[in-house]
Amino acid sequence: MDNNTPVEWFGWFRPDILVEYKQMFWQGAMITVGMTVACIIMGCALGLMLALARLADTRHQPWKAVCKYLLRWPSTAYVSFFRGTPLFVQILLMHFAVMPLFVHPVNGLFISGDLARTLKQDHGALMSGVVALTLNSAAYISEVFRAGIQSIAIGQKQAGMSLGMTHGQMMRYVVIPQAFRRMLPPLGNNMISLLKDTSLVSAIGLAEMAYAARTVAGAYGRYWEPYLAVALAYWLMTFMLTLGLRALENHLARADRS
Amino acid sequence: MWNKKFALAIGAAAVSVLAAGAAQAQGRDLVVASSATYAPFAFENKDKQIVGFDIDIVNAIAKQQGMKLRIVNTPFSSIFASLNNGDVDFVISGVTINDKRKQSFDFSEPYFDARQLIAVPKDSTVASLKDLKDKKVSVVSGSTGDDVMSREVGKTSGNIRRFESTPLIISELAAGGVDAAIGDNGVIAYRVTQYPTLKTVDDASFPKEHFGIVVRKGDKALQDKINAGLAAIRADGSYNVIYKKWFNQDYKPQ
Repeated sequence: MDNNTPVEWFGWFRPDILVEYKQMFWQGAMITVGMTVACIIMGCALGLMLALARLADTRHQPWKAVCKYLLRWPSTAYVSFFRGTPLFVQILLMHFAVMPLFVHPVNGLFISGDLARTLKQDHGALMSGVVALTLNSAAYISEVFRAGIQSIAIGQKQAGMSLGMTHGQMMRYVVIPQAFRRMLPPLGNNMISLLKDTSLVSAIGLAEMAYAARTVAGAYGRYWEPYLAVALAYWLMTFMLTLGLRALENHLARADRS
Repeated sequence: MWNKKFALAIGAAAVSVLAAGAAQAQGRDLVVASSATYAPFAFENKDKQIVGFDIDIVNAIAKQQGMKLRIVNTPFSSIFASLNNGDVDFVISGVTINDKRKQSFDFSEPYFDARQLIAVPKDSTVASLKDLKDKKVSVVSGSTGDDVMSREVGKTSGNIRRFESTPLIISELAAGGVDAAIGDNGVIAYRVTQYPTLKTVDDASFPKEHFGIVVRKGDKALQDKINAGLAAIRADGSYNVIYKKWFNQDYKPQ
C-alpha cells in the first residue's frame, strides 16, 4: 500500500496519521509512565515527611515551640499553597520562573554555563515537570498519610505503650500497619490523578503522550484520532494501576486475617 | 462564574454588533472584526482598549477615506463566520492572504509583509535556517514555523519543542531551554525587544507571505475604498510612521 494514501475507517477515522507519528506516541507513553513512577516515589517520601511534620508535638518547652513554628506551621503553609493553587499555574511558574532563576546558561544561582545549557536543553521540561508534579502530589499525599495516622484510635497507642513499647516501636508495629491499609484506597486515587496530570506538562514542551496528540492535531487539524488514541492509552495505564492496587489491598487483607 | 461572564461578554458583543449593523444601514459606522490576542498587531491594553499595528492602520485608512469605524474583538476562530454572516463589514486581524481563503473572500492589497523570523541569544552564531539542523528550536504547535522545522529535521524529531503561543516559545529561549525560536516576524520582532539578551536572524530563504484586509466576496466598493486608503497612507508616509511605532524600524519592502 502506498504510504501517502489516507486509510479511512468508517469513512472518517484515519489511523494512518497516528501510524505516521507512532514513534512520538510511543516515546511519549514511556515518558508519561516514567514520570508518574518517579513522582509517586518522591511524592510519597516527601508526603510522609510533611505528614509527620504536621503531626509533630511534644510535651515540654522549648520543643513545643520548635514543633509549632519550625515543623507544623511551615508544613501546613506548604500544603495550603500547593493544594490551593492550580497545578497548571505551578508548572508554568516552575518552568519559566523558578527553574531559570536557579539553572540558567548565563546567570543561574546554582548552575550556570555550559552544564546549565545542556541540562536545560536536554532535560529542562522534564526536570521542571517532575519537580512541580512531585511538590504538588506530596501536598495531597501528606493529607492521606495524616488522615490515616490520625484515624487509628487512641486506645491502640495506649495499648502499645502499656506493653512497654517505645513511641517508635508503637508507631512502627501498631499504628503504621493499620494506617497503611486505610491509606491505600485514597493513595491509589492520588496516583491515578498524578498519572493523568502529567498531561499538563505538555504546556512547557515536554514530549509526553498529550504532547504527541497535540502535535498531530496541530499538523492535521484533526482531533478524533490523536485524542481518542491517547485517551485510550491513559485509560489503559490507570486501569493497570487500579489492578495493581487492588491486588495489594487483597494481599494485605489476607495477611490481616491469618 | 467564568462561563457566565463569558456569555455576558458575548451577548454584549452581539448586541453592539447588531447596533452597529443598524447604524451602518443608516450610513454611519462600519464594523471591523479583529482578534485582540495577537500583539503587536491587535491586543487589549490595560484599559481594555484594542490597540496595535492593525488597529492603527485600519484607523488611518478610515480617516483618509472618511469612514467611521467600530472595532469589535472577535475570536480568530469565528472571524470568517462573522464576516460571512454579515455581523461585521470587514476584517483586519493579521490574516495571511492565501489561495484557499481567496476562494471565499476578497482581500485588499497586502498591508504587511510577513515571513518567518528566527530568534536566538545575542552570542549565537546561527545565521540561517540551515544552521538550525542539529539545534533545539521552539515553535508554535501547527504554525508555519512548525512546518518549516518539520521539513528541515523531520516532524517527530525531539529537537522541535512545540508550545501553544509565541510568548511561550520566546520565554523558553530566554530561559535557555532551546537554541532558537521560529515564528511570524511581526510577533517575534516585537517580543524580542522585551528581552535584552536576544536578537533576531532574518533568513531571506523563508517563503514570503502577506497580510491583507478581508472583505466579503464581491464587495468591490469597500475593497476599492480600502485599497485607495492604503495607497494614500503609504504615499503620505503615515504607513511608515505606524510601522516604526510598532516594529521599531523603517518599513522595507521584501
